[in-house]
This record gives sequence, structure tokens and C-alpha cells, in this order.
Amino acid sequence: MFDALQRILEQIQGTIFETAIQPALFHLGLIDWSEDVFDGVEFALYGALAVILAYVLCRPLELWRPVERWDEAWGARRAVRTDIIYTLVHRLGIVPAILFLVLAPIGVAIDSYSRFAGYIPPELEQLWHPLFHHPFATFLVYMVVLDFGEYWRHRLQHRLPWWWALHSLHHDQRQMTLWSDDRNHILDDVLALAWTGTLAMLIGVPPGAYPLVLIGFRLIESLSHTNVRLNFGRFGSLLLVGPHYHRVHHSIEHAAPPFDRPRGCNFAIIFPIWDVLFRTWRPAAGYPKTGVASLAGQSVRCGYLRHQWEGFRRLATALVHLVDRRRPDFVAAFRME
Amino acid sequence: MAIAAAIGVNRPALATTAVVLNSDDDSLSVIDSDSYKEISRTHIGRGPHHLIQTPDGRTLIIAMSGSNELVMIDRTSGVEKQRITASDPYQIGFSPDGKFFVAASIRLDRIDIYDGSTFQLLHRLPAATMPSHIAFSHDSKTVFVTLQGTSGLISIDLASGKINWTVQVGRQPAGIITRPGGTLLVGIMGSDYIAEVDPTNGNVIRKIQTGNGAHNFLASADGKTLYVTNRVAGTISVLDANTLAVTSTLKAPGGPDDMAMSPDGHELWVTGRWHAWVDVIELASGVLKTSVPVGRSPHGIFVY
Repeated sequence: MFDALQRILEQIQGTIFETAIQPALFHLGLIDWSEDVFDGVEFALYGALAVILAYVLCRPLELWRPVERWDEAWGARRAVRTDIIYTLVHRLGIVPAILFLVLAPIGVAIDSYSRFAGYIPPELEQLWHPLFHHPFATFLVYMVVLDFGEYWRHRLQHRLPWWWALHSLHHDQRQMTLWSDDRNHILDDVLALAWTGTLAMLIGVPPGAYPLVLIGFRLIESLSHTNVRLNFGRFGSLLLVGPHYHRVHHSIEHAAPPFDRPRGCNFAIIFPIWDVLFRTWRPAAGYPKTGVASLAGQSVRCGYLRHQWEGFRRLATALVHLVDRRRPDFVAAFRME
Repeated sequence: MAIAAAIGVNRPALATTAVVLNSDDDSLSVIDSDSYKEISRTHIGRGPHHLIQTPDGRTLIIAMSGSNELVMIDRTSGVEKQRITASDPYQIGFSPDGKFFVAASIRLDRIDIYDGSTFQLLHRLPAATMPSHIAFSHDSKTVFVTLQGTSGLISIDLASGKINWTVQVGRQPAGIITRPGGTLLVGIMGSDYIAEVDPTNGNVIRKIQTGNGAHNFLASADGKTLYVTNRVAGTISVLDANTLAVTSTLKAPGGPDDMAMSPDGHELWVTGRWHAWVDVIELASGVLKTSVPVGRSPHGIFVY
């Protein structure tokens, strides 16, 4: 069944590219971008599929057993609408395309320079040969290693004041839904790409042969933000990040040491094992309210562009406070009305 | 790795197979050219794009741009013999005398010149931008590489690694081939023609219209016919190799890219990048005989 679905998606991708995109590239004098744009069409197609699947699978859960029901007059719906825009511009490839155009030349320059210096990045299966005969296992190992990298990136996002200023945009949403996963500042996305790109220089790029499986991982990330009373249980919560597990990470209340806001808890993106190993796992009971206590009002419940601007403002304020060591309490730096 | 199994267990000869590199799937497809069915698809490594045979015809070399390797496969048995580390090989080629092996890195803007027998790196040249297809002078002294990103063509002295000249040759040049008389033909992918170029100075001698997205070349075994893929038009132009007159146009939907001729010369096999298939065209009738489904983004092809 997966092969048949894969084949259908390939043909849709090919038809879109051949009939609509390629002629446009040709007439614009950009035909040498064909391979990159062809990959971009695949990204957008699979992104659209991931969005549809997330909605079909997670939305009924939100209707069935929501953690919260929101007062319409409160502006909650508008905040969720902004998250929908975040999701679409990310998963349909608009923001990734911009990041690619900006960052790819830098990555190529670094990679090219390293080749002249004699360094050729390895692949995991070259470092550990038995993997070569099991490409799907290789793919899964990559996902685990990359998830490990994401765990530490996430911890730094909370630990470093200037990075938290950006990441607070993801956390200031008080109405977590299946759409909240992509609510990130564009500079935060740049840092994420640079982080992943650096990892790729060390261990290689994950195989591209399993785009459907990647959709599965994106679904887990959507599900973990879903507004649903769903707990994977004591054993399941150690295997896979779920809605309850991640909601505790987004909790507005976990300010008590050692889980205070700058450090936090339950940082894992896919595999909770990292939280267990590095002692950041917090098996809290109940479904706490979410958000950042010091952030509310128009700076949170606003449109996409205003929210992005707010990120720049918070970053600037945090940097000013970093320079001004007399005020180490960076959280206060972007306190709003 | 057991490529032998991929090519076909208990098949003593490989006379009826085609090998296709699926660049986005990191795999190698083997097609039974009698039944036009894919009989196996095997993981081969990262980013396989192009393959050639060694000058002695005994080995197939697969360029793995993603995993930075050259994979050597015994042409007769299909068994993998060796993997050699090489930085981002995309297009590859041997000089006619076999003394030099050249790899172009389209992603990293670089051309590498290796010793053709030991694969020791001799020269590494920055080449802005997107160095793509490769051709050699008949005397094996010079390599010509198209620069897709800057509409250029570069000429490099193989022994010294020095650049002879770089010229503008037309928008997004791709495929390149050396004619028997020594002039070069370049597929101008950003337009609808091929350009004949003077190898001594890079001057364009004439332009021959083929179709939108003129991309790559294949000469027939007898040297009388030249085939040009037009990737945007989804066609293949058939040219008289002597006069360069277009004698017919064949349909090849799906983003026709690399080509290979069946050993009997009756069929033209073409990879269709955008639709994950291989078009098989019967040359006598010019009819698209079948499209064989393979892996994602099939690129290089070799037909036994």
C-alpha cells in the first residue's frame, strides 16, 4: 500500500512540476534550478499531506476530549488562526524556501572549503558499516541521532536568554492546538537549520528515500501539541512524546526549581528517553494551563507578521539586557502589558 | 554489497538488463529489457547520479555525490568490487587515453582531476558555478566542462590543471560532446538549441534549434546519428551527425535526461527525471514503446 501511495505522490509531483513549474522556470531563465525546485515541490506536496493527515487525525481528538474549551470573545480563535498560518507557510515550503536561498550558499561555501582542506563529511553507515545493508534501519538511526541533537538545541533554546527570547514565541501560545508546532520565529528557524546543517557535516544527511515515514514523524509533533486529554501511560510516555508529555513542557506553572522556566522539563521532541537520561523528565499529573506567565495580550494574540516583529523586539531587548549585566533577569526584559 | 543479486540471480549473462540510478531514492534499479519490468531495486549509497564504464570496458563506475564515493562494479558479473572515496562526484568521465579521470561537483562548484589508473587526486579547481557535463579533446590533453550557473564553458589543461579559457556559451549549458572533427556541441538548456563551439577559443560557430531545454547527447554506435534530449519540451531530437540537421523528433515525456542505446541499436532508453520512469523508444517507428516505473528521480542509465 505504501508503495502504491508513494507512486501516486511521485506522479502528482512530476505532473505539477512538468506542466506548471518547469515551463515557468524555463521562461524566467531559472532552469538550472530545476532539481532544487523539483525537490521543493516534493517538500510542499508531502507537507500538504502532513497537514491534511494532522487535521484528519488530530482534530477529531480535539473535539472529542479537549483539555480546554475557549471563550470566543477572548480572542483565542484569532491566536489559533495565526498558528494555522504558521503551519501553512512552514509546511508548504515558503519559509523553508527562503531559508534555503539564504543559508544554502553559506553551507556550500563551508562544505566546499572543507573539501579543499581535505575533510570529506562521513555518513553514519560509513562509520558503522553493518548499517549499509539496512537502509531503513539507517534512516531510523539518523532520526534518533537527529532527535538527540534536537533535544540539546531545545535545551539551549530555554537556557540561553537571547535564544529564549526567540523561542518564547513558540511558548507564548496559551491555546495549544494541533497547529502550534510550527509557531516559531524565522531567526529561530535559521538557527535550527544551521544546527541541523552542522550535524549533517559531522554525520551526513539522512537518506531521502523515506518521505512517507518523515510524515509520520511530523504527525507525532502535531499530535504532541494537540489540545486533547491523551496520555500514553507510564510505559508509553517513555517511548514516544505525546500530548500530555509535551503539554507539561509548555506548562505555564512549572516555575519551581529545578524545572523553572529557563531550564524547563520534558524537552524531547520525539523520543522521551533523552529527558530520562539527562534528568529533565517530569511525569506530572493533570493537564496544566500553557503559555508564558509574563507574556499576554496583543503581543501574543496577534497576526503572523506582528508576532514575528514581536520576536525581533524580544531579541533586541534580551540582547540589551545581556550587555547590561546590571539586569540579569532577562525574563523581565520582554514583559508585556 | 550484493549487486549480483540485484542484477539477477542465476543470470550468467547480462545481455538483457538495464541499470538505472535513482538519485532521490539512493537506489539502483535493474530492468529486464526483454519484459520491460523492474526486477530489482537495491540501496547503493547516497545520491547516485551518473555512471560510466572504464576504458577497458570491464568495470562500471557509479558516482555517488551524496556519500562521496565511486562504486566500482564488475560489468560482467554485476558484483561490487571496490568503493573509493571521492569528494562529491556528480558527472564523471575518462580522457580517451584513460590517463585522466575527471569529476565535476555541481553542488560545490569544483572540478577534480584524478589519475585515471590510481584515482589519486591531481588537481582540484574552483569552478563558478555549477560545473556539470564533461567532454574531452580527442588528444586527451583538454577537458571541457559546462558551467550551468554562469552560462559558461571552461577549458582545462589536464596535465597542468591550468585553465585555458572560460567563455559564455549560452543560457544554462548542460550536455557536451566532442564531434569527430574536434568541435564541441553544447546543449543550451536555458534555450531551445545546441551550440557548436570552437575548442581552441570557445567561440560559438553555429546554433542548431532542437527543443526547449536542450540537455544531453548520445551518439549512435555507428556515429551517424546524434540524439538530443529536450527536457522542457519532453522530446528527443534526432540529428544527422554529419550535417547536424534535425531529421525527426521523438516524444519522451517525463523530463528526458540521460540516454542509452540497446545493444542491437533498435531501442533508445531514456530516464524520465520527473515521473520516476524510463522511456523506451523504438527507433524504427519512433514510437514510445513503454515507460518502465523505477525509483525517484532516475538519472544515469546503462543498457547491456
